Amino acid sequence: MADEEETNEYRWESGYEKTWEAIKEDDDGLLESNVAEIVARAKRKRAALKATGAIQLGMMRHLFVVIDASECMFLQDLKPTRFLCVLKLLELFVHEFFDLNPISQLGILTTKVKRCVEVAALAGNQKKHIEALQQMKDTSCEGEPSLQNSLERAMNGLKNMPAHSSREVLVLFGSLTTCDPGDIQKTIKSLKENNIRVSIIGLAAEVRICREIAKRTGGTYNVLLDDHHLKELILNQVQPPAVAGSMEASLVKMGFPGGKTGSGDGASDSAADHAPAYCLCHIENETSCLMGNNSGYNCPQCGSRYCELPVECKQCGLTLVSAPHLARSYHHLFPIKPFIERTEVPEMTHCFACAKPFGELDPNVYECENCKQIVCLDCDLFIRETLHTCPGCASDPITAQMKTN
Amino acid sequence: MEDKEERIETPLVAIVIDATPAKKFASQAIIDNGSTMMNRIFDALIGFGNAHLMQGSHNKLAVIACNSKSTKFLYPSENGDSKSYHNRPGQYDMFAKVDSDIRHGLSELILKDSIDHDSTTSDSLLGGAMARALCHIHKIQRELSLSHQLKPRILVVSGSSDSALQYMTFMNVFFTAQKENVVIDCCMMDSDSGLLQQGCDITGGQYLRIPTVVGLLEYLLWVFLPGPSCRSKIVLPPPTKVDYRAACFCHHKLVDIGWVCSVCLSIFCKFSIICTTCNTEFKLNRPAIVPSKPKKRPRME
Repeated sequence: MADEEETNEYRWESGYEKTWEAIKEDDDGLLESNVAEIVARAKRKRAALKATGAIQLGMMRHLFVVIDASECMFLQDLKPTRFLCVLKLLELFVHEFFDLNPISQLGILTTKVKRCVEVAALAGNQKKHIEALQQMKDTSCEGEPSLQNSLERAMNGLKNMPAHSSREVLVLFGSLTTCDPGDIQKTIKSLKENNIRVSIIGLAAEVRICREIAKRTGGTYNVLLDDHHLKELILNQVQPPAVAGSMEASLVKMGFPGGKTGSGDGASDSAADHAPAYCLCHIENETSCLMGNNSGYNCPQCGSRYCELPVECKQCGLTLVSAPHLARSYHHLFPIKPFIERTEVPEMTHCFACAKPFGELDPNVYECENCKQIVCLDCDLFIRETLHTCPGCASDPITAQMKTN
Repeated sequence: MEDKEERIETPLVAIVIDATPAKKFASQAIIDNGSTMMNRIFDALIGFGNAHLMQGSHNKLAVIACNSKSTKFLYPSENGDSKSYHNRPGQYDMFAKVDSDIRHGLSELILKDSIDHDSTTSDSLLGGAMARALCHIHKIQRELSLSHQLKPRILVVSGSSDSALQYMTFMNVFFTAQKENVVIDCCMMDSDSGLLQQGCDITGGQYLRIPTVVGLLEYLLWVFLPGPSCRSKIVLPPPTKVDYRAACFCHHKLVDIGWVCSVCLSIFCKFSIICTTCNTEFKLNRPAIVPSKPKKRPRME
């Protein structure tokens, strides 16, 4: 899709593609193995594209999702309706987003009847967002959306965020029209000045102003083909984007609660740790918080207790996280080198990673540059896409120790 | 993909054995009835593997061992030609194979380790072994027919303490396991491991440090043989409180309050001007730290 955008040519203007010629029958007259290979190859290619270059990524993200809730979202070209389909996919998105961007914040806005309403404030707790999304299912879609109002609203929320965070807006736009109170060009300009990146996913057809907004703010603009494509497009936004232009770097002070005490400084004493205390996330509303005496996390700076991490301490403003939260994004920092494809049959008869014996079905095997171990195609993909650690390197006493330094 | 008909559950246990404490146990020679500690541990592991296979005809087993030099698939064994194993009359073929594979492989690994003394003792390569276990599980999952549903878990039997140098590998393994719904259980002999505690907590597994190694088989059978689905029905040792503090990148020291680089999320125990991981320079005029220093001094005096 990316290359389609860059060339100005439309698909129907380009030459004839004989896509069916790539498919050939194998010895048994079956297509299955051939198709599987093509799919695997495409995946490998895509993964290789992703892995290129050490770009600085915006790890701390502040993102507003703007959902169009205008009349056209009741159309049934996505099942059951556009609106419900989008909400369902966004639930998945929220989950994946916090999985991959643990210390980021997300907010949800909707736009209908020419206005923009905040559904969920910018926060780092996925439960609240998912609750908000589920409640939205019962609301009605009416009127016209306003692109400018929602962008202004998102900008107001984002511009006071710290300079080291990546500020983003994702618009899911179903309508082909927008009702704006003023000049949207001015809005685009100030978005750019505030370093806010706007990505738009169109649910109907390409709209020129959307493309322009995305292009000028450094975001992406895509129009969906069907619901699977929409899912793919939404989930593409989960990956932290490369840093655009000037983003300040800074050291952020963070607290890591849950440590056993007596480690020297004595920031909190053990008596306070186990004393009964209210959980500060639930102190304001009536819903009871199921926190026992021993569970919960104490802020190492002021000692207030929270039932969940990550959270920003309400008392002293310290960001509280746990070590694995940060570790989730480390694989972006230390990506593994792509494996080299080898066509000749190696002396090794087994895939190093999964112990599968190599047969005649696997024409290609893959070798790690560092540890020279050989793995099969499936393991290659699995290692690159999910595991992010070469089992061969981790099984060698010398290479296993290189990664942290 | 929700099938109307019940899918056949296929539990898979991948046992990851850490063989580094072997030297320690080898010296603790003989206990009560003449058998050595090493034999006791071998028997316990084999007994557990067979007990798991015995529970159902669909049950699957994989055994991977590691020490500080290498990792190795014990079962299914790496060199596919099954060595001559003699099963006692009436013994189930598979049990005899598991028995001989584990015994051969593990002793080979331990002997090789004890022969070359030259290298300094380094950490056990548990992370690599677990990564291989995950790849193996992934492969089995892919090859399984649609009517079966794999219930994979990894049981780590280890006796060595944390290795900070493999932190990244461990974390990648834990998050992958969480994503693939693999439960990580952990049975520790002699020493505790904070990292594995975190791993068990993240994936919803059981962490247990056994007080006596002699009773290894009993602990394995009682605590780790039942699958995660029926664990809620039995009384298990209470969960340990997990230490979720981070170790700083500069001194590998656990910190309560640390400084995190906004670019690469490296953790430091002290404020510095430049990030040593990604070489980013930070702005010095941080208003947050300047006022905090003078406040402390008057109190001290």
